[in-house]
Amino acid sequence: MSVESIASKVRSGGRLDRAEALSLYADAPTLLLGQLADTIRRRKHPARDVTYIIDRNVNYTNVCVARCAFCAFYRPVGSDEGYVLGFDELFRKIDETLAVGGVQVLLQGGHNPDLPLEWYEDLFRAIKARYPDFKLHALSPPEILHLSRLSQEPVPAVVARLVAAGLDSVPGGGAEILVDRARRLLNCESKATADEWLSVMRTVHQAGLRSTATMMYGSVERPDERIEHLYRLRELQDETGGFTAFITWSYQPTNTELGGVEATGVEYLRTLALSRLVLDNFDNLQASWVTQGGKVGQLSLAYGANDMGSVMIEENVVRAAGAEFCMDEAEIVRNIEDAGFAPKRRTMAYDILGGPLFRERDIPRRTELAVARRSGDTHVPAELAQYPARSRPGKQQRDAVSDS
Amino acid sequence: MSEDVTAALEQVVENVTNGVSPSEADVAQLVGSPDLIALGMAADVVRRRRHGDRVTFVQIVEAPLGAALPEGPLPAQTGELRVTGRPESDAVAVGAIRAAVACAGVVPVTGFSFADLDDLSGHNVGRLAKLLSALREAGLAQLGEVSAEGLQDPDAALALLRDSGLVAARLTLGAATGTVGLSLMRQVASWHGVGEVCRCLAPLPRVAPSPPSTGYADLRQVALARLLVDNIDSIQVDWALYGPKLAQVALTFGADDVDAVPVAGAKEQGWRRSPGEVILRNIAGAGFTAVPRNGRFEAVDVGTGSERHAGR
Repeated sequence: MSVESIASKVRSGGRLDRAEALSLYADAPTLLLGQLADTIRRRKHPARDVTYIIDRNVNYTNVCVARCAFCAFYRPVGSDEGYVLGFDELFRKIDETLAVGGVQVLLQGGHNPDLPLEWYEDLFRAIKARYPDFKLHALSPPEILHLSRLSQEPVPAVVARLVAAGLDSVPGGGAEILVDRARRLLNCESKATADEWLSVMRTVHQAGLRSTATMMYGSVERPDERIEHLYRLRELQDETGGFTAFITWSYQPTNTELGGVEATGVEYLRTLALSRLVLDNFDNLQASWVTQGGKVGQLSLAYGANDMGSVMIEENVVRAAGAEFCMDEAEIVRNIEDAGFAPKRRTMAYDILGGPLFRERDIPRRTELAVARRSGDTHVPAELAQYPARSRPGKQQRDAVSDS
Repeated sequence: MSEDVTAALEQVVENVTNGVSPSEADVAQLVGSPDLIALGMAADVVRRRRHGDRVTFVQIVEAPLGAALPEGPLPAQTGELRVTGRPESDAVAVGAIRAAVACAGVVPVTGFSFADLDDLSGHNVGRLAKLLSALREAGLAQLGEVSAEGLQDPDAALALLRDSGLVAARLTLGAATGTVGLSLMRQVASWHGVGEVCRCLAPLPRVAPSPPSTGYADLRQVALARLLVDNIDSIQVDWALYGPKLAQVALTFGADDVDAVPVAGAKEQGWRRSPGEVILRNIAGAGFTAVPRNGRFEAVDVGTGSERHAGR
């Protein structure tokens, strides 16, 4: 089938199969891909609104046993640079988030063997007790699977306990590429196989929660494996309808074990556009300005994205791998309006909250994202002493906290 | 955007594809629409008609005035030694070019802006002509740049350049957008013979004062320059000012030349992440064929990455 005939199929609302998607991805001119993606976006969002959310990415721990080869953020158990945030630190971050109009925290972290399920439950309950309306968008599927393994409880039971403690929705992290050949090469198959990632998401959706979905491309996978990833997501969305949005970003190689080079700006826009064409059952596609920068991030709006993602406030993971872009609400709004769209604040479920908040009240400008902890801050939260550690370094740390 | 507007834009793109120059109404349609892709498609058609799938680029070594020149031979991939800064006197300007030429060997030496030299000459045409001639005799291969906004009398300035025997590497357009930017592009399009003395037209992103121009604004400028200015052959993007990612995307919006790719970087980041490898990868990734050039806009053979780094 020629590119033009596949393009006609897209224009007439037809559903692409894998071979057609791969053909477009390999051979269609970039501007044609953008035009097709924009056609679908306009169909789904005729009002020319572009949404964004004010929230904060908090990484509660960087200690991780998964050891993914593409990750520059994690530290092994016992590392001097490992940290766990205390409840008070997290409350302070939430207070700062509320002060700039934030509505949720995106809470993700390493697979820390010394944080049992009860720590998460207590944290979630404590947050909900202090901030009843504040949303917890937390724990990607591999983290939930990690907790299932640690607690020796099945995933549905873990999800039920987390929901009871206050979990509102689940971020789509840890998907990387949902093909086990690539996951083996990335050393992330053990944290979750492709089937396991999808199975956790199915469970989450069946529990009544919504989630996002992601794809990290540009590391070791082949183009057909990117396509396969998108189809696995599309099939689950057909089944559950639980995904609110899809976000793709390029692998960030700096400081990682895997190394290599980052995919180009054109490749990002092509991948985003193709995602819009394949994921015809996803309403929302987010721009990844945090990896692409503000300018290419804005161009995402011409290549199928209808959402500028998160104001973010804090980010630690891609920064560790070399990406250090920052946009506050005013900058996100400027980019949306410059592209000819109307900016709308939203929740994780894409309920519209209103227009730009900084136009309603005085919010200080921000030129850089906050970090989880200042460099050199090694303090151990006192409440950790209440939870049993599993690793030897973890036990020693607990003893030290108890003694002090 | 309504379906009617989309259809009208597609008609403009089709007209351009069929070789019909965009009318005032067509341009107004493209400029007034938020449909960036349609604008890019029209510009890409014109760009491919002129340049096929070729994208030229130059790797440069900068030589700031007053700083020590590079020691030893310049790296093999150097296409241009660029003297940067504003000279304090004619003698400093000519001396800097002589020293750079001695250091550069066969690599062309470029430098200075027309506006700075005009200031240095006290806006005296005779003095400026003499300075330009002296710089050419000292070995200046091309003048660094001419700012379109800064030209009080474009015809006189272009005649002066022509008479001096010097060509400017690029005519720059600032980040003025909307009617001001369009008006300037139309003026440039009316300048007789500008393409003979200015090798490229280079729309520049706004970097300061804040806020910086957006990605949409930068690509609009590139595409409109390609569509409106047909008396300068090349539309250039600046690697340093656009950044590698946006510069690459701009190639699909009408640009055909990438300026100011640094030579340095391989030692610090490993050769695969060095600018020379990134630009080759970016041009190929955008669907074009990379043609390295030097500061005289002559194609040069610097070899492929694997050839350049054989034996590593």
